[in-house]
Amino acid sequence: MSENQKNLNLNLKIWRQAGNSEKGVFETYPIKNVSTEASFLEMMDQLNEELIGQKKDPVAFDHDCREGICGTCGFVIDGSAHGPLKKTTVCQLHMRNFEDGATLTLEPWRAEAFPVIKDLVVDRSALDRIISAGGYISVDAGSAPDGNTISIPKPDADEAFDNATCIGCGACVASCKNASAMLFTSAKVTHLGLLPQGQIEQSERVLNMVAQHDIEGFGSCTTTGACEAACPKGISLAAISNLNRDLLKAQLTAKSLPSSQSDVV
Amino acid sequence: MSRGEHFKYFQSSPGKKMIMALTGLIWAGFVLTHMLGNFLIFVSADAYNAYSHALITNKIILVAEAVLVLTIAFHAINGILLTLYNSKSRGSEKYAMQAKGEKAVTLASKTMIYHGTLLMIFIVTHLVGLKFGPYYETTVNGVVMRDIYRLVVEVLSQPMPLAWYLVSMVALGLHLSHGFGSLFQSLGIKSKSNDLLIKKVSLIYGAVVALGFISQPIYIYLFLAR
Amino acid sequence: MSLNLDSKIPSGPIEDKWTKHKFDMKLVNPANRRKFTAIVVGTGLAGSSAASSLGEMGYNVKAFFVHESPRRAHSVAAQGGINGAKNYKNDGDSTYRLFYDTVKGGDFRAREANVYRLAEVSGNIIDQAVASGVPLAREYGGLLSNRSFGGAQVSRTFYARGQTGQQLLIGAYQGMMRQAEKGQVKLFPRREMLDVVIVNNRARGIIVRNLITGELEKHEADVVIMATGGYANVFFLSTNAMACAVTAGWKAHKQGALFANPCYTQIHPTCIPVHGEMQSKLTLMSESLRNDGRIWVSKIQGDTRKANDIPESDRDYYLERIYPSFGNLAPRDVSSRQAKYRVDEGRGVGGKEAVYLDFKESISRLGQSAISERYGNLFEMYEKITGENPYQVPMRIYPAPHYTMGGLWVDYNLMSTIPGLFVAGEANFSDHGANRLGASALMQGLADGYFVLPYTIGNFLASVGNTEKVSTDHPAFAEAKNRVDAELSQLLKIKGSRSVDSFHKQLGRIMWDNCGMARNEQGLKKALEQIPQLKQEFWNDVYVPGDNKSLNPELEKAVRVADFFELGELMCRDALERNESCGGHFREEYQTADGEALRDDQAFCNVAAWEYKGASVAPQKHTEELVFEKVKLATRSYK
Repeated sequence: MSENQKNLNLNLKIWRQAGNSEKGVFETYPIKNVSTEASFLEMMDQLNEELIGQKKDPVAFDHDCREGICGTCGFVIDGSAHGPLKKTTVCQLHMRNFEDGATLTLEPWRAEAFPVIKDLVVDRSALDRIISAGGYISVDAGSAPDGNTISIPKPDADEAFDNATCIGCGACVASCKNASAMLFTSAKVTHLGLLPQGQIEQSERVLNMVAQHDIEGFGSCTTTGACEAACPKGISLAAISNLNRDLLKAQLTAKSLPSSQSDVV
Repeated sequence: MSRGEHFKYFQSSPGKKMIMALTGLIWAGFVLTHMLGNFLIFVSADAYNAYSHALITNKIILVAEAVLVLTIAFHAINGILLTLYNSKSRGSEKYAMQAKGEKAVTLASKTMIYHGTLLMIFIVTHLVGLKFGPYYETTVNGVVMRDIYRLVVEVLSQPMPLAWYLVSMVALGLHLSHGFGSLFQSLGIKSKSNDLLIKKVSLIYGAVVALGFISQPIYIYLFLAR
Repeated sequence: MSLNLDSKIPSGPIEDKWTKHKFDMKLVNPANRRKFTAIVVGTGLAGSSAASSLGEMGYNVKAFFVHESPRRAHSVAAQGGINGAKNYKNDGDSTYRLFYDTVKGGDFRAREANVYRLAEVSGNIIDQAVASGVPLAREYGGLLSNRSFGGAQVSRTFYARGQTGQQLLIGAYQGMMRQAEKGQVKLFPRREMLDVVIVNNRARGIIVRNLITGELEKHEADVVIMATGGYANVFFLSTNAMACAVTAGWKAHKQGALFANPCYTQIHPTCIPVHGEMQSKLTLMSESLRNDGRIWVSKIQGDTRKANDIPESDRDYYLERIYPSFGNLAPRDVSSRQAKYRVDEGRGVGGKEAVYLDFKESISRLGQSAISERYGNLFEMYEKITGENPYQVPMRIYPAPHYTMGGLWVDYNLMSTIPGLFVAGEANFSDHGANRLGASALMQGLADGYFVLPYTIGNFLASVGNTEKVSTDHPAFAEAKNRVDAELSQLLKIKGSRSVDSFHKQLGRIMWDNCGMARNEQGLKKALEQIPQLKQEFWNDVYVPGDNKSLNPELEKAVRVADFFELGELMCRDALERNESCGGHFREEYQTADGEALRDDQAFCNVAAWEYKGASVAPQKHTEELVFEKVKLATRSYK
């Protein structure tokens, strides 16, 4: 549609892995006539349509809203989580950002805590279990006071919001050389901790979420900043600093540490 | 596994970094003062020796040395454990390609274990070669003391030790340029507003310490070597 | 199965109905709640709020969802906001006004009592969201901020930047994860509901496919809640997420749940247009853009000039021309339809399905920085997707299917015609009538889950008791499982020549052309011939690769598309039989001289609820008459 529309021919070097216990290998697929107007996932659709036409197994990849908000999609393109553009999920990445004739290497999120399910699809339920451990405010339906009885200074509300924009895609883990989920964990800790209604449980929250983070086998943050660069929502590394502070405070002051195992099947 | 009850702060992933930060902070301070003290080499042999003498004859220095040995041991062992732990988290399959462009990270930040290891070896060779090296004597203002100046000049006049020293100081610069900033993160001091400042200060700190240290052997090699 | 469509609306004045009903309903003693299990299918706003609320009360909840994480449900994508009749702005809002606006906005095709209850609990939803940490927009004084939305005359919309849906969903999801931690809610990720199991005329469980292993699992419960979303993906191209499907609802429909008002679909006027054959979904651009943008097309058919080369004299600002008072702010359905007419006249941008949305005049009047301040993020998003800079070149927009008001028929308690099967959120038909107001979808989902189902489920369970337990060994489970198994095997066996998507696109085109923004008898009849043919071809020639023993996205799609064929047919039938225009259903034969929707309140002031009669038998229509006691039937006008 756009006046600048062009077609590209590409080589896709894609990680193919039939299942978690199978061995994976790279397969190379040439693809022709990819519109520069298409999104990266539409290019993948095109590839899969061709593979289906040849009675071959299409490439499995996770995706859903294709608007950059659900956090379902994500794989690594030429070493970069979600591809080369900052603050962009792979579903919002468009083909005009690539050169004709390029070879692109596609790999799944790689981390011990994210086992590969198939091809580019991984299991990120570990992130849900971190939320289960304390990423919430304990309020039963029906017991909430009027919304305006809790007033929040705008700067705090804004910073809480910045951290609440996390879509749980796992790019932070994928891009971190330590496969640390600290940016994810700290974004939630910071979001809830900045709110008066979330402050009450902050000590238990941060202790339990960090403990679960470690149980899941995520690594330790070494402040490389890869997560911040890869985060499609631009969540700041400062969140991790905030978590470190809250954790230390909690360790020094927390009275009791509630704990139980989560029930994610 | 129960989560909260068995929680051990210094075994948690942020706790491990806290150890790195605290021990690193002590050493970051130490290398700066060490570097500044060494500048006396530009003044005179006597000044250099007198400073050294004053230090080693002070009883408090024993405590300081003990602290330094302990912290570096913690820093190194913990650093190795952390690297092993993190490498396990990363998993057995490695990425075929590394991020380039906007999403790449600094070289220093992803190679801490390498320059760290090199620095550890350097510290050992440094102590063996100088602190526990040949003992020369001199007299300054009537006080008999170790002529460390002579030893330093002697060692750093040789190309191989000099090269090793220079390489190690570049490694120190890299290590500090990331580590110094990172410790603010681990201590929980970083925020969105001081993020850039910390990054800059960290780079400058690494550069100043490294260049300060490098300036001395170069001076020795060019002007004092026989 | 009883087909007496009893809406079970409580008696008494509308303001007291819900309060009275809450008192009249039976309760389950807190100690007894753990003896009951509820299945919740879908974890969007309705599903996760229902799961967490029921878990908090002490019921055992099993939550099923197709994604790897419950947070991925499509509620996450809602941008604009959520209505709440708080009257924080002191501008005359009230429960009654929100109720009135919703009934009127729905073009008098919603149930008054349901809508009133929705408005009544709307304030509690905001409170609940705030308490659970949802970062709704704040003023500098620290209090909640509101804006006016979708042409409402009061500021009652709460919002969270452009991602209100994501923030509310995360709030509800976190509540549910808290119950998961406590063991009250058990999560079943990557499971797709493929049938409902009925024992003794009561929903007692579901059959789900484990999408990773392919295994068909049987799950029993005392009550089944479906919160499975809408069906706009029948059009293939819509603003819905890729996994949005009618399958769960359709399987329930085939087991006896009536499907109400399937033809009511909402088309959103400002979406980024289709770029080509490989387009997979459409992206919405906030409607607020129409406040400063002017919509136009060339006066010349098939004009191939670039936008900036078309002189003013050749531009037709058609909304300003036809609706001088509302202009570019004409309502969603009107604005969408007019864009379609321009394209039908051959005056779309470059001959394609697109019209211009031009900011040139506003930029020269207000300056680029003012426009950037208002719409900067939207302009960026547009540029990211299209590669065009809207500060320099007019945006191209076109309407796209967005929301479906129809769904499974439910009574006032949100129970379908299958006892024990409750339906919440977009999946049911209940609250929006023929057209949904902006910022009402999030409100309805959370109202159902937080504040309606917790009461009505208790009432149902207390009535049936917990003596009659069934296990998954019951023959009804085996029977349902066999049904599902047979369908999956059949799909895998065909091994024809065409991909699932190629069929879905073709179906979508038929639906878009004939049952989209404007419908007519001829088109609908044509679609009713084409769809069964295409369906036949699908069952003969679709190629589904792989097997049923591992992750197989093509098989997932095939099951969903198979159901879309049947739903599409029902939508066309419903649209054909509703000989009037109302809200999102515009029949070209029924319009005023000005081209406005012409309702027929004599014949069609009712809900059309369809009963499935078998694969080769026409469905049977039942009607529930709508009675308007409070709001007088009136005609909308936007001239």
